[in-house]
This record gives sequence, structure tokens and C-alpha cells, in this order.
Amino acid sequence: MAQSSSLDVLLKGSSGQSTRGLLRIIILLTIAAAAVASRLFSVIRFESIIHEFDPWFNFRATKYLVQNGFYSFWDWFDDRTWHPLGRVTGGTLYPGLMVTSGVIYHILRFLTIPVDIRNICVLLAPAFSGLTALAMYLLTCEMSTSPSAGLLAAAFMGIAPGYISRSVAGSYDNEAIAIFLLVFTFFLWIKAVKNGSIMWGALTALFYGYMVSAWGGYVFITNLIPLHVFVLLCMGRYSSRVYISYTTWYALGTLGSMQIPFVGFLPIRNSDHMSALGVFGLIQLVAFADFVRGFLPGKQFQKLLTAMVLLTFGLGFGGLVLLSVSGVIAPWSGRFYSLWDTGYAKIHIPIIASVSEHQPTAWPAFFFDLNFLIWLFPAGVFMCFQNLKDEHVFVIIYAVLSSYFAGVMVRLMLTLTPIVCVAAALALSGILDNFMVMTKPNPEAQAKTNAEDSKSLRSTQKPVVGIYSYFSKAVVTGSITVYLLLFVAHCTWVTSNAYSSPSVVLASRMPDGSQFIIDDYREAYYWLRQNTPDNAKIMSWWDYGYQIGGMADRPTLVDNNTWNNTHIATVGKAMSSREEVSYPILRQHDVDYVLVVFGGLLGYSGDDLNKFLWMVRIAEGIWPDEVKERDYFTARGEYRVDDEATPTMRNSLMYKMSYYNYQSLFPAGQAVDRVRGTRVPTESPQLNTLEEAFTSENWIIRIYKVKDLDNFGRDHNNAVAFDKGLKRKRASSKKKGPRVLRTE
Amino acid sequence: MRWCLALLVCCFLAAVNALSSSGSRLLVVLDESTEKSAYSTLWSDLEGRGYDVSFESPKSDKLSLFQHGERAYDHLLILPPKSKGLGPNLTPKSILEFLNKDGNILLALSGKASTSSAVSSLLLEIDINLSSDRSAVVVDHFNYDTVSAAEKHDVLLLQRPGPLRPDVKAFFDGEGVLALPRVAPQILGSDSALVAPILRAPATAYAYNPKEEMPAAEDIEATGSQLNVVSAMQARNSARFTVLGSVEALEDQWFSASVKAPGGKKTPTVNREFAKQLTAWTFKETGVLKVDKIEHHLATQGEVAAQDLNPKIYRIKNETVFNIEVSEYSYDKWVPFEVPGEDELQLEFTMLSPFHRLTLEPTSRTETSTVYSAQFVTPDQHGIFSFRVNYKRPFFTNIEEKHEVTVRHFAHDEYPRSWAISGGWVWIAGLWSVIGGFLAFVLVWLYSAPAADKVKKTQ
Repeated sequence: MAQSSSLDVLLKGSSGQSTRGLLRIIILLTIAAAAVASRLFSVIRFESIIHEFDPWFNFRATKYLVQNGFYSFWDWFDDRTWHPLGRVTGGTLYPGLMVTSGVIYHILRFLTIPVDIRNICVLLAPAFSGLTALAMYLLTCEMSTSPSAGLLAAAFMGIAPGYISRSVAGSYDNEAIAIFLLVFTFFLWIKAVKNGSIMWGALTALFYGYMVSAWGGYVFITNLIPLHVFVLLCMGRYSSRVYISYTTWYALGTLGSMQIPFVGFLPIRNSDHMSALGVFGLIQLVAFADFVRGFLPGKQFQKLLTAMVLLTFGLGFGGLVLLSVSGVIAPWSGRFYSLWDTGYAKIHIPIIASVSEHQPTAWPAFFFDLNFLIWLFPAGVFMCFQNLKDEHVFVIIYAVLSSYFAGVMVRLMLTLTPIVCVAAALALSGILDNFMVMTKPNPEAQAKTNAEDSKSLRSTQKPVVGIYSYFSKAVVTGSITVYLLLFVAHCTWVTSNAYSSPSVVLASRMPDGSQFIIDDYREAYYWLRQNTPDNAKIMSWWDYGYQIGGMADRPTLVDNNTWNNTHIATVGKAMSSREEVSYPILRQHDVDYVLVVFGGLLGYSGDDLNKFLWMVRIAEGIWPDEVKERDYFTARGEYRVDDEATPTMRNSLMYKMSYYNYQSLFPAGQAVDRVRGTRVPTESPQLNTLEEAFTSENWIIRIYKVKDLDNFGRDHNNAVAFDKGLKRKRASSKKKGPRVLRTE
Repeated sequence: MRWCLALLVCCFLAAVNALSSSGSRLLVVLDESTEKSAYSTLWSDLEGRGYDVSFESPKSDKLSLFQHGERAYDHLLILPPKSKGLGPNLTPKSILEFLNKDGNILLALSGKASTSSAVSSLLLEIDINLSSDRSAVVVDHFNYDTVSAAEKHDVLLLQRPGPLRPDVKAFFDGEGVLALPRVAPQILGSDSALVAPILRAPATAYAYNPKEEMPAAEDIEATGSQLNVVSAMQARNSARFTVLGSVEALEDQWFSASVKAPGGKKTPTVNREFAKQLTAWTFKETGVLKVDKIEHHLATQGEVAAQDLNPKIYRIKNETVFNIEVSEYSYDKWVPFEVPGEDELQLEFTMLSPFHRLTLEPTSRTETSTVYSAQFVTPDQHGIFSFRVNYKRPFFTNIEEKHEVTVRHFAHDEYPRSWAISGGWVWIAGLWSVIGGFLAFVLVWLYSAPAADKVKKTQ
């Protein structure tokens, strides 16, 4: 008994409260630590290295910021990308991420902790994922009175693969901090709506501004908050709380977002932002109507209201159409259209469709990324309906919208994950709160109280309903525990296997099970760095632009910031045309080296020949007469690279660069392409205008040098033929028809 | 020590004597050393101009154009060999390689014997065609030497050529008559910009194979001035290759001969002067351009500080000055380069295509060079631009300069401030009136406390 009494001291009364508070803090810190730890697989397995493609640009921009200071970063004109156009980088990026790491870097330096900026960049995403877990706790605590809901949501958010996919160590992308900002902004918004406080509204606007500076996905907030308000208005839940928080947020948030050069005047010109403006106008009218209602009798007010609603709607809609048609409001962006019609991008904007993360999500991906949360999610949303307060309306709207968007685009799984965690935590905490309570109500006491109340109506008497058997409690609790453990196992497995590869370094297994590191990318990029002049222009498909800029430090023609479709199409045309067509393009753009990725030897399927059709399509979009997708398919409509490949295919620069000298690796006639699983033609393609400069160990990266014009004015065909010792045929005058006289 | 000094002095002497702008090592490839004496005036002239002339037979094993991968000679003079071909050491490939490495070549042909197929295929590579049977000579029934070729009419008498075009400087002009015996004609490709005729046959000339009985009319490839007596090819790296149709014109005999055109007077030939002009041009004593200095900077008043010269980055709409200093080599010294007659030296400011194409005007002159400059405003387009000077004319070495600079956009603090724009005053007034109005409203609101409170309290 003594033991239980000592526990009682800890768990009851005011000291019990502080004990629980302390426990909560310890649990949250543990969750944050777990969130950070589970993202470190790649650092432990490989090294502290930046991953993928976009992070390389962010890393390069951060280095620029740290070296040159904020103002020159703000006005940065980058002459090492998009040669020869250059890029106004300072005005066309979201600076939040770089500035955040820059601030951390300077704070650490101020505290005399000299940390390499690379390590800050690598570890920023895990650090912020710990913060996301805390923000998640705060958000969920606003939704539920049960303290367990918040802790569960924090734990889910910490390890859900849907979020880990974009925030492992080294994945230094905008999303790394943006998800934290998203969740925290929503928490502040809920707080503002609940309290009707200008302070919380202003804080929401502040973090919204931070979010705008960090990620293009801020549009999600820009539309979700007005939608929340709109739904509240439609439900007749107008209150001064909503009015105060929304107007504060909109006015301050819009001003804040306009401070980012890349956003600029979009909030008042772009259609994507119009809903926020419209709701702002609407809420003024509603507030005015509410004010007028206090002075007018009901019937007159009804008439006035109807007339006003019709008038406003008509004026607003008409004005929107007029402004859109006249071009004052920018038309909807292509990515926006592709949200509604998944086939839109494929037809109209191949450059958007060519990105794999813009493809519609496959069903298994939901389970893969969210495990058992995905079936707890509807239950949680249902529970919100039961207890429908303003904040629950928000959860419902968020859930509906983001589950649609996550179905349309793979990468929007990221915005779905937070709300799934909230809803699942609500559902699970509901279950646990009911099943983990050991106390039973005393039926006799209950009966007694009922008897005392028997004077009142029978229907108001409360029957004793509930699950009180230990067996069912044990079964449910046990199975939930199993699910939770499975969830942790699944998350760890997914993180370790699917999301922790840097994709710059590839790992595979040898037949004897030992690890085999394929480091061709870095090998090739460092070759460029050490063997080419500082301003040698490298042409490659845009996927590799950021990596070349970051690792090889050489100017590129196109990169992953796909702002200029024509320039990309030019590169696509150069890759997909004959040498005679490509060479002038290469000369005009001062190209010194061409880089291609070829996976045929290793069976690396993400190579350029597999992306080749996108190059053709994008080039065809600009030059439909010169590049035709049909020409790259055989008569039977097959995409082939072997003996039956079409002449257009075999003469294209990309094909030639991929298979140049490839046959020499194999015995005669045995050359095999392991990606496409076919025999390769026995003879190597001829390259006249390019010469092979470098091929990496596993032939993944091949670099070609563009030859200068021939010293004697010959075309390259003839020059190469002469060097091979072939005699030149004398141009017979009979063949040519009338003789051309030379004039000076 | 003394020995060392002597060597040093020797070196200096050699340097002083070396007249060509690109070295003095000249290799003469000729068949037999017996033949050497026939050209003794030419050799002494060349040696007098500072060349180290060495002689080699094409069959010799020692003959090699390269040593340790570098050129062993600066210039090459090839006389037509008696045997077929130029031997194993002078393949077309090695000759082109010699040109690739900036060596200069003077190739003499002869109409006496048919030219070897190796030479013909070499010339074909640089777009100079010989007649199809490779043994034709140029015959002219109006401009021949009545003294030596009264019957065969195959010794041409020609004036020295003037400028090829109005915008090209004449390097081979002068008074007097050239005698060109038994010329093997060359026909230039119709679209090559690298080849240029030095001396064309007169309009009345035609090519004729003396060994054939009858010239077949349909086989005629070119006549008149489409036939070249002397032609030149200047590669893109400015290496020079000259084809002289008549090797005999270089012989001592023709340096001092007197000739007589039909119906004309007997005059001495100017072959010796022409040979000097020809070898001087081929071996880069004339027509060599050099860019000494290129400077570009923002247009400012007064002197430009050294650190402001040649900046890597400009802004759009910057007033910019571009200077280029060009000298020309004339036999033994650098002189200021003057653009010939109707020609212009042009500057392009290019990104993908030229945004500006401006004439560079001569602004000042030093002892050895002329400074050309242009001033312009950078276009309203940011990007990576280049200053380009691309001056390629027949007989001048190529000037191809490309200097990349970045043109950036306006920085955030380079726009005029809002109050400096008179159109913005309306908005500024609006802004401050709202702020003032709000403050006034707040004041009024705060100081008009309701009096009703007191009434309530009394109740």
C-alpha cells in the first residue's frame, strides 16, 4: 500500500500535475530525438553528403550566402547556370532555407563552435523534423482534450515515412523546414481562431511570411485558411473571433509575403491567391451585415441580405472574369491545372509531366508512406464530426483537400502526412482513453444516484454503458500495441531501405552479399572539376544541372530550375538531332563538354536513354517540324535501340553518345544493354563533331568534348575520314550540274 | 665565362636577324642537291633576310618535320620532286599536322612534269584543286614571252597583282612584269573562305595538257581568271600555305631574264621582288596582326583606375568603353595597324546573337600600334555576353577575340527611390493620409470617453 500511496503523491494533486508536465516534456524530447535519429541512416551508411538534385543548388546558394553576405545574395545574378542567359537567382528562389542555415551558421560561429556549413545543411532537415514533432503536439492538443492525442501525433509525425522521405539527413530541400512551418502556422491559426486574438493572428502572419520565404507550397496555406473561414461563414459560425484573426492574418501575411522578391506582386495578381482576397472581402460584408442586423427588423434584413449576397457575388465573379480575360490577373499556372486534370500536363506541359514526383500517386504508396495511419485517418476525421468545433472543421477541410491532392501528385503526400497524423492520433487516443482505464464505475453507487434522481424524467437517467471487462480491454490494448510496434518497424524499414539513399552514391550488393558502392557521379563530376577550365560550359539534360553546378562547379546550360522551357527544348533538340544539326547549336551556346548518363552496362534504369523521349517531346513542343516523336519509334510503335532502331534514333546525338565504343567491351556481336535488355548493334556509332573525353568506371557517366571547327575549313566528316586515312573523292563536276564560279 | 657571353651575344644576334614574326628555321625540301644551285639567288636572299636555311631531300631518312612532338622547323619550302610523291616523311597528314602546329609552307609546283597524287590529295584537303590529269600547263596566246616561248606560248607575262578586293590590303603589288614559265594551274573551291588567289591567270588563258593530242572541250574545268597561278590558304590558326604554280619562276635564270610580250618592249622581269614578297608573306614577315591589349571599362571622366579595368561584371544600361590595340608586322618591325580602304574593324556585343555591332574607331596611336575603341550602352538584357572582335580578311592573320563578361540586373538599391518618382507622390500621399487619419481617429476615440458611465454609477 505504501508504494501506491507514494505513487499517488506523484500522480495526484498539484505535484501530480507537474510530474505529468515533466513526463510530457521528457516524452516529447525523446520523440524529437527519435525523429532525428531515424533520419541519420544515410550519414552513417555513406557520409555527410548532400543528396539528390535540388539540395545541391540549395547548398551552393547557402555557400554563396555565407561567403558573400545577405545583400549580395539578395541581388545575386548567377552567371554559372543557364548559360548564356544567366539566372537572377536572388529574385527567383525561396530564400528561407538558405537564410535559416546561414543564421544557424553565424550563431554557432558566434558561440565559437566552428561547424562546416555543409554539416549544417546536411543536418538541418533532421533538426527541423524534431521541431515538427513538437509543433504537431501543439496542434493536436488544440484539437483534443486528451493529452495522449498530442503525444501520439508527435510520435507519428516524427517517424512517418511520408515525411521522412523529404527530410532525411542530406536532403537539404525547402520541404525540410517548410513542413515544420506549415504545421506551426496551422497551430497558430487555430489558436488565433479559438482566442480571437490579434496577437495570435499576427503570429500566424509572421510564420506564414516565413513559410512564404521557404517553400512554394505556401499557396496551400493561402487557400486553406480562407477556405476554413469560408466554410465557417457558410455554417453560420461567424464570430468576431474569426473576423479578427482572419483580417489580421490576411493583412499582415500578404504584406509579409510580398517582401519576398520571387513572390512580389503575385498575392494581388495571381489567380491562385484570389480566394484569400475574396474571403477577405466577404468577411467584411458579413461583418457589416452582422452590424446592420442589430439595427434592423428581421424581414427587412433578410431582403437586404439576399440582395447584397447576389450583388456581391455577381460583381465579384464578373470582375474576376474580366480581370482574368484582360490579363491583369495572371492566368492559372500549369501546375495548378494539372492538379485538377491529371492528363493536362502530359498534353500541354511535358516539362512538368516529365518529373516523376509530379505523377499521380499509386495506391500502395499510401500504405507504404503511412502504414496503419491511413486506415485510422477516416476514423479520426469521423471523430471530428462528433465534436464539431471551429478547429475540427479545419481538420476536416484539410483532410479532404490534401487527400485529393496527394492522389494527384506524388509529392503532395507530404502535405497529407501532418493531417493524417492528427486524425490518426485523435482516433487512437480515443480508443486508448476508453480502453486503458482500469477503474470500473460502481454499478450499485450508480444505481443509487439514479434512484435519487428518479424524480426526474427516466430518459435523463444515465444507464451504465461501457466496456468494463478486462479481457476485451487487454485484447484491444494488446492489438493496438502490436499495430504500433509494427508501425515503428515498418517506418524504420522504409526509411532505411527506400529513403536513405543519397542517389549521388549508389549502393548495390555483390553476389557474395558484400556492399558495392557505385560512385560514378562523383568520379565524373570531380573529373570535370579537375580537368576542365574554370568556365568550360557543360551541356547535359536538366536533371544533372544542379549537381554539375554544385559538385563540378562548372557552368551549365540548363538545370533543375526549369524556368525557361525554350532553353531546355534547345538542349533537347541538340540531344535528339543529327550531329550536323546539333553541332551549330553546341557552337552557338559555347558548349565545351556534353555529359550523358548511360546505364546500359550496369542496368541503371534512370539513364538518359530512358528519359530520351521526354527530350524529344519537349523539343517537339518548340520545333514540331524538325523533331518528331514518331520518328523515334519503329513502324510497329516500339521504342528500340537495337538493330531495328529507326535511322532517326540511331543518328541522334544521344544514341551515339550512349553507345559510342560500347561494343568494344564485349566479344564481337555480344554487346548487351542491360537496362533495355537488348542486343546492341555490332558496330559502334560514328562521332565526328565530338570526341570522348571521359567515361566513368561503370560507364554511368560519359563526357564528350566538342571539337573546334576544323583548322582547314573542312566539315568534320571529311576531317575524320582524312585522319582515318581514307582518300577523299574528288568532287566531280559532272555530278554537281552547272559549275559554280568563284568570285572574290 | 667568356664562352657563355659569346653564346649569349650569338643568341641576340640571331634574334635580331630573325625577321619573320614566327621564327627563322626554314627547311627547303628539294630533290637533288645539284638542283640547289639553280636557285642560289633565292637562298642568298632568304639567308640575307635572316633565315636559317637547311636543305633536305624528300627521300632522306633524316627528314622529319617534328622533334619530340614539336615542330623542328618554322617554315617549309617544298620544291616539286622528280620522283612520285613526297616520300614517307612528308605525307599529307604530317604536312597538315605541321600547319596545325602553326608552321608555314610554300609549295611550288611545276608544269614540266605531272604533279604527284599525294600533293594533289593534300591540296584537295584544303580546297585547292589541280586539273584532273595533274599535268596541265597554263597557256595564253596574248600574254606570253616571245623570247623564250614563241612557239608554245607557255611562259606567261603578268603584272603584279593589285588588291584582291577594295577592302583588302595589297601585299604583292608593284611595277614590272613577272615571267611565269610552265604554270601548273590551281582551281580554288567555290565556297571556302580560307583560300584566296594571289595571282590569277588572265582572262585569255586556259589550261592545256601538252602531252595529249587534243584537249577535250567537255573536260575543261576552268578557264581564264578561274585559273590561279599563285594561291594561298590561311588556316584558322593563321598558318599559311602558299601554292606557287611555277617553280621555274624562282630560278636564278628567271630572276635576271629579260622578256618581251607580243607587241611590247623587252623588259627585265621582277621575279626576284615578287619572290621576296611571296616568301615574306608566306613566312609571316607581312600581313601579321597582333592584338596587344584589350581593355574594357565603365565610361568615366578622366583616368580609369587599374582595379576598374576589365571588370568581370557589368550592369544593364551601363555606359561601357572597349579598347583594342592592334599592331601589324611589316618585314622587321611592328607598326600601327591601319584598316585598309573601305574596311572596318568591328566590335560585337553578343549573347547568342549580337546585340551591338559597332565600328571601332582609331582613337590613338603608339609607336607600334593603333588603339581602336568604341563606346556603347549595354543592352537592357541580363546574361553572359561577350565582347567579340572577329576580323578575318584574306592575307591578314585572323583576329578572333572573345571576352566573356556578365551583365547583371539592377540590384535592389539601384532603382530610384519612391519619392524621386513624381508619379509616386499620389500613392505616398495616400499612404500617409491613411496613417494620419488612423492616428487622428485613435486620438478622437480615446478622448471621447462616453459620459454615460457616470450616469450609470449614479444610478
